[in-house]
Amino acid sequence: MSASNPNESPVNRREFLVRLGITGALIAGSGLAARKLWQPKHFVPGFEKEKGLQLKSYAPELSKVMPSLAIAHGTEHEKTIRAAMTALGGMERFIKNGDVVMIKPNVAFDRPPALAATTHPDALRAVAKLCFEAGASKVIVADNPINSPTGCFFKSGLTAVAAEMNLDLMYPETNSFAPLSLDGEVLKEWTFFNTPFKKANKVIGLAPCKDHNLCHASMTTKNWYGLLGGRRNQFHQHIHSIVSDFALMMKPTLVILDGMNVLMSNGPTGGRLSDVKPMNTIVAGTDMISVDAYGYSHLLERDIAELTYLHKAQERGLGNINWKDTLHKEVTV
Amino acid sequence: MATEKKYGGGGRKQFVRTRVPVVESISSAVILLLIVAISFAIWHKGKVFDPNLYAVRTDALKSTATAVEGKNGTAPSPTVTAPVVADPPKAVAEKSTGGEEPTPEGGAEGAAAPKPPVKNLPLEISLAGTKPMGDTEFYTADNLYEKIDGRAPAYQSFNVVGLRCRSFAVTAATGSFVDVYEYRFDTPVNAFGMFALERDPKGKPLEIVADGYAADMGYFYRQGAVYVQIIASDTKPETLAKAKSIADIRAKDLPVDDKGLAGRKKLPADGMIADSVAYVPENAQGQSSLKDVFQAKYKFTGAVIPFFVMVASADETAKAWQAFQNFCGKFGTAENLPDVNGAKIFRAQVFGKWKVVYQRAGELGGAFDADDADQARAFIEKYLRGELK
Repeated sequence: MSASNPNESPVNRREFLVRLGITGALIAGSGLAARKLWQPKHFVPGFEKEKGLQLKSYAPELSKVMPSLAIAHGTEHEKTIRAAMTALGGMERFIKNGDVVMIKPNVAFDRPPALAATTHPDALRAVAKLCFEAGASKVIVADNPINSPTGCFFKSGLTAVAAEMNLDLMYPETNSFAPLSLDGEVLKEWTFFNTPFKKANKVIGLAPCKDHNLCHASMTTKNWYGLLGGRRNQFHQHIHSIVSDFALMMKPTLVILDGMNVLMSNGPTGGRLSDVKPMNTIVAGTDMISVDAYGYSHLLERDIAELTYLHKAQERGLGNINWKDTLHKEVTV
Repeated sequence: MATEKKYGGGGRKQFVRTRVPVVESISSAVILLLIVAISFAIWHKGKVFDPNLYAVRTDALKSTATAVEGKNGTAPSPTVTAPVVADPPKAVAEKSTGGEEPTPEGGAEGAAAPKPPVKNLPLEISLAGTKPMGDTEFYTADNLYEKIDGRAPAYQSFNVVGLRCRSFAVTAATGSFVDVYEYRFDTPVNAFGMFALERDPKGKPLEIVADGYAADMGYFYRQGAVYVQIIASDTKPETLAKAKSIADIRAKDLPVDDKGLAGRKKLPADGMIADSVAYVPENAQGQSSLKDVFQAKYKFTGAVIPFFVMVASADETAKAWQAFQNFCGKFGTAENLPDVNGAKIFRAQVFGKWKVVYQRAGELGGAFDADDADQARAFIEKYLRGELK
């Protein structure tokens, strides 16, 4: 039985409205707080119905007269990269006035440049210079090292080049990522370092040529691995599949393989100068599979038959492993 | 009538709640607090969610790899292969183990050492002219990829326990620095295995430790169960000098522990084929009595001679030698040869290949899978006479 007292007044309209208002505010506040706390990294593959972003193609129009692959031999980064680009038809073929260019180096480790585990600062300097000469209004440099990005960029010497050349160095932040959707062999839904792509309209991959403990070689195709977020090491079990998926994920304007000094063993980290061999070569092209095919056979000096991810990409029509069949040009500085 | 109108008609007095009991108020407050706590817990759990949490951990299956006599379903125990080294191993000076690193205790020579605890002690190096560039970083076997990414599986295959690393700026050389990496493994043998795998064939022997070398841009050595890498950012003399000083300091601080590596030290360097050294924890040559065996291949008078050595008690080596001879006699032909330098020797031909096996106090070894019996014998006799260094 209720212990109600008829002499006490019931809830009046004013009090009712106040209570209703407080309740509504609490519910709305909870909703807003939940939205605020929601983070994209909760985007777990296989548990998300929402489709993520799909990257557009940054590739130039195919040319029947201009080479799609250039190989330049020389002893200095800038001269050799310039020679490779001239052989491709000049950087102006790819970069126009006012373009915002994103350069994706490989800065996976906090290693000094001499160990050839990361994109060499001289290579970045040369490519950025060519972009500006071609009319680029801005050059963004971005990578997502698993290890401390500031440490990796600093020790690899790229921070200094960015400051010297007034490049826009973009470190990955918590809110730099967005879900990516891809119909890849293993890459379906994953977090992706998206912020640079919101600003850039041209993309250049600039990768060192190096041995890799798991997939034999890390070159221009593997370089895009650095754009994935999350615990991406779980893809190591399907390393050749995921690397071949990058040829589907990314259609860059251009890729450049730095084979001036090649990490021949103990990759991808290296650690000893004896692991590094001067090969004095730059390979540039629009087909990353062709570029890597040359790199593997001529710079790492290995049998292309064993590089599974290139064959997978070729089978899926994502590139041409037979670089000799492409329109190519080889020059010596 | 007025009251009835106010609370509804039908002659039924409508319930009006005018007071909330204290118990109910407290219960409500508790429920609200619980809702908040549960919400926070869900949010926090989601924030630190690890997709690998329920992934299959193959490491957990390693315990099934221990060979069990008579059980067909038991997976074979792994052979730890350690490609290595052409330099002569040096005698290890006894050092105080009073440094900051604990020495694994217990277990006989060659027995698996207990897993040492990973101490998260900062890597402090007091050296004039250097300055720490940041805090010490710590990684376990599970998150090692965060530091070295695709290289991590190579270290995991040798049972790495953790990594401690820190960078030091060289104040006399602007922009120069020295990186110090200390990979701790479960045993000195595994630390040696990884060290050997990455060995610079052009490295110059490093006098401060038993297994180490100087490379063009750094110093690399194994001390106890730790594989140390001191990497200079460049080849400036100031940077290299600091790297060397740091290498010296760390070698002194880390305790000497060569548990399980006595056999490795018996392998001569003369003629050794680089990258051919292997460590076989058990069942070497298919013999259950041959444990903790080190083996390597040698170039000798135009032939390649595989050679193995095991260090154990005199009694164990004597029994193992006899058992091996019996085995060879059963499946081939075996004959005793004259003793050399106090070592007993037998020669055998089994399955078309030759073996020349010796035994002396606390040591058993020999040539195996040789194509030429005379060359194998000559190699062993030269070794026993101390002519192979």
